[in-house]
Amino acid sequence: MTTTRRSLLAGAAFATSFALSPAFAQAPTEIELFFPVPVDGQLARDMAALIKEFNTAHPAIKATPVYTGSYDETLIKTRAAMKAGKPPAAVIMSANFLLDLKIEGEIQSMDALIKADGKSNDQFMGQFFDALHGNAVLDRQVYGVPFHNSTPLLYVNTDHLKEAGLDPDKLPANWEELVTTAKKLTKREGDRVTRWGMMMPSNYDYGGWILQALTHSNGGQWFNVDYGGEVYYDTPSMLGALTFWSDLVSRHKVHPAGVQAGGAVSSAFLSGQASMMLLSTGSLTHIRNNAKFPYKVAFVPKNVKNEVPIGGASLVIPAGVEGERRKAAWTLINWMTAPEKSGWWSRATGYFAPNKAAYDLPEMKEFLAKNPDAGIAVSQLAFAKPWFATYKTVPVRKAIEDELAAVLSAKKTPKEALVAAQKQADEIMRPYVEQTALKLPTN
Amino acid sequence: MSAATLSTGVSTGEISPKLGYAATLLIAALWMVPFIWMLVAAFNPESIGAGMASLVPSYIPTLANFHEAWASADFPRYGLNTLIITLGILAVQIVTITLAGYAFARLEFPGRTLCFYLFLLQLMLAPVVLIVPNLTTIAKLGLYDSLMGVMAPYFASAFGTFLMRQAFRAIPRELEDAALIDGASVFQRIGFIYLPLAKPSLVAFSIVSVTAHWNEFLWPLMVINSPDLRPLTVGLASFTRGAEGAQAWGVIAAGTLLVSAPLLIAFALFQRAFVNSFVSSGIK
Amino acid sequence: MAQAVFTANEAREWSAPRWRPRRSTVLAFAMLAPSLLFLALFTYWPVVQVLWQSFHGQIRVGGPQAYVGFDNFLKLFADPAFRKALANNLVYALGTVIPSLVLALGFAMALARSSRVNALFRALFFLPVLIPLVAAASIFLFLFLPNVGLLDYHLAKLAISGPNWLGDPDIALWSIMALTIWKNAGYYMLFFLAGLQAVPADAYEAAILDGAGPWQRLRYVTLPYLKPTIGFVLVIGLLNVVTQVDHVFVLTKGGPSDSTNLLLFYVYQQAVENYDAGRAAAGTLVMLALLLVVTASSLRTLERSFGEKDA
Repeated sequence: MTTTRRSLLAGAAFATSFALSPAFAQAPTEIELFFPVPVDGQLARDMAALIKEFNTAHPAIKATPVYTGSYDETLIKTRAAMKAGKPPAAVIMSANFLLDLKIEGEIQSMDALIKADGKSNDQFMGQFFDALHGNAVLDRQVYGVPFHNSTPLLYVNTDHLKEAGLDPDKLPANWEELVTTAKKLTKREGDRVTRWGMMMPSNYDYGGWILQALTHSNGGQWFNVDYGGEVYYDTPSMLGALTFWSDLVSRHKVHPAGVQAGGAVSSAFLSGQASMMLLSTGSLTHIRNNAKFPYKVAFVPKNVKNEVPIGGASLVIPAGVEGERRKAAWTLINWMTAPEKSGWWSRATGYFAPNKAAYDLPEMKEFLAKNPDAGIAVSQLAFAKPWFATYKTVPVRKAIEDELAAVLSAKKTPKEALVAAQKQADEIMRPYVEQTALKLPTN
Repeated sequence: MSAATLSTGVSTGEISPKLGYAATLLIAALWMVPFIWMLVAAFNPESIGAGMASLVPSYIPTLANFHEAWASADFPRYGLNTLIITLGILAVQIVTITLAGYAFARLEFPGRTLCFYLFLLQLMLAPVVLIVPNLTTIAKLGLYDSLMGVMAPYFASAFGTFLMRQAFRAIPRELEDAALIDGASVFQRIGFIYLPLAKPSLVAFSIVSVTAHWNEFLWPLMVINSPDLRPLTVGLASFTRGAEGAQAWGVIAAGTLLVSAPLLIAFALFQRAFVNSFVSSGIK
Repeated sequence: MAQAVFTANEAREWSAPRWRPRRSTVLAFAMLAPSLLFLALFTYWPVVQVLWQSFHGQIRVGGPQAYVGFDNFLKLFADPAFRKALANNLVYALGTVIPSLVLALGFAMALARSSRVNALFRALFFLPVLIPLVAAASIFLFLFLPNVGLLDYHLAKLAISGPNWLGDPDIALWSIMALTIWKNAGYYMLFFLAGLQAVPADAYEAAILDGAGPWQRLRYVTLPYLKPTIGFVLVIGLLNVVTQVDHVFVLTKGGPSDSTNLLLFYVYQQAVENYDAGRAAAGTLVMLALLLVVTASSLRTLERSFGEKDA
């Protein structure tokens, strides 16, 4: 993987020296790409190399990668830039912000661009995994092109399994097995826990996603996929999921109390202080490069069925980007999501490549043969569903995440928490509901 | 004026009984813990893992983390941008606060109280709150994605104005009157009498201003698009603020050290002058 | 203003014809002009925009801004998260300003005498001020990291299991407060060092002759002289409490369960996450009103500190 990255960097540098020659003197169309850094600093450099390569291959376009902080800060910066009348030509946007941006009229449909290429929407989206369509195609129009995506994954330290006398090839596949395994893996000195059997991130953004994964595994749904005004918080499937998480903390005592941030969970796992964790596939490369022990990954354990939400980000074009800049942005988006680049980015990060054809390439096959863990991440995609996205996604999600934190800190029972979360979420979505589903003919 | 008063304060030592002094030293040790960790972690060959929390280095120091941090961002260029931003702001501020400070200190004019409160308003307004409207203004002025855009909102400083005003008031009027008789213009009087005597206040203000703008993150992140124009903090954030997954603590420590080093070194070299200026700037 | 010294210079101008603006007035405004220009662009104009926005909002989802009267304010006060942020800010204010103040005063008194060692220690206390808050927060993120972090690692060596510093709703705010105190105490110390210079040495000598102990000297000599400084630092501290929340952005995002949500962060959430510009503007105005109260109630202190009125 490192060699691929190196050679690409070198290739890009070599090619740039040509691009600077006066042959390409006419002014290129200048576009900016806003991108968040999803995992670590290395990726910011990789992105620069990628865009350099693009510019070399397309002398009529000059794309500039603009680092914009976290996913949230990318959203603020994009909105601020639009308000200032300088929208970026393309943005790598957290996939669950798309619906909200569409409702507010801040991103544009790509249908016309797809049509101009002589494709139908179905043909165009057909190149991507089915599970990704729900967050990109809204009201039958394409608003985003999947760039890098993830699902939650169970990571297990197999040294710990052996040490506890368990079979390192048999990872927990359902909740029952997860609890018994976690109990055996948890180590205590008196009342003090020195190693946790299981950890799951519960900070804002991550917590909601993991709870969605547990809910799906419990046969439930988080939201109405076809309508942005409904969430199913106060339901038996969600109650089971939340109670399960709460039980891991207070009943089985195999999971630490309170909110755990994603970075804290992976740090605990890498330092051997947690034996199992649920984390994004986006962290796979980081774990692979830094784990000093053998580990294995598996599907998220199920209670009722194997099912998980997707995560990650899509490329969008903000409203107000027109003419040559729009065309140039479209060229960039297509180039970045084509099989080779998609596959390369996937190998660098751990995110899976949204473009199915990426997995037919020889370098990808070779990579998967060498790293079977990446293959498991991809096969889980067959069981993946869209990420929750509603009117005002973030506050609606925060409504339940605040209650989740209360449950994990033993301040509320799961049932109380879900009733409160449902009430709050309904309140937030009410204006939208009143203007859509409840807007009825009066006479 | 400054160092002298400090050391001749004969009995000032009396205010602090030995116990208080010992407690202060103990707290100082506590205060240093984050810095010691930063140093130890920065030179650690590891960046992740169980041993990262150690405060006693138990490894052969390497520069690997610095390499990684250095390669993640174009630090020399970012450093230059930060320098331009902080010194640019300071240069303009010195002009605006000197003029306004003089007006408040020495001139009588209608609406002075109103002006005082108008200035006071700025003290209360966090730039974070005004980011969106300010960004629109910056774009309208054609300063979006420029260093000037980062600097412009800070050109006026109420804090600096009040500081200068107070320093100027402490200067005996007789000095100015004498210069007036010699036919010196108002700007000559400011330049040759007021500014030299207000130096401690100027230095104190410079510390506050440079520190604040050197460390600023959100505003430059919003204004700047071009990678060539990024300041240090934004470059640092590209590897300390990964959205998903894990942090490489050693690299974060090394990067933080790289970014803070210029200020830390400057302060270490000039700290006596800094602190003494502050002490005698007469803020009370 | 009224008490300001009436100089010969100004007396001359007083006799100038009434219909012409006095020379000093023209000069004063010419000197204030550059500052006022920038203040107008980047302070007053945005405030006008916030005022306008606070009475406007989206009536139709995805629609344009329309006049909504006091709706934004009503919704704001009906929001439990806002009330929580208000309460948190109060705890945060008391819990950071008072300890910072006491520590800063202690540091300043212990290190008032100018010596090499004291200079070094003053520098140590000032170092946190020099670190970018983004970076300081990353370092504290590790400090507070559960299990592997600096605190838990060392507590584990003593066989103590540390709490979940940032993840327990009962503790998180206190952890944030610790960072604030660490970052600010050294800054306030400088003001106290300056203030201590105003205490005349013979005041102490007299107190010692009267047989006053250290506490009595503190109570009857030092504190009375430091009153203006304490007032000033108090105001600066209270302004900071409301206007600086970067570490909340990095460490907790206001969580868990809004337990570390502060007013400014709430406003930011409304503006960015909830995308409710109207409610964010209303929140900003409430915050501004609070700051005005703080400022107004301490106006005399500020005026004295900045010399608008003579002490």
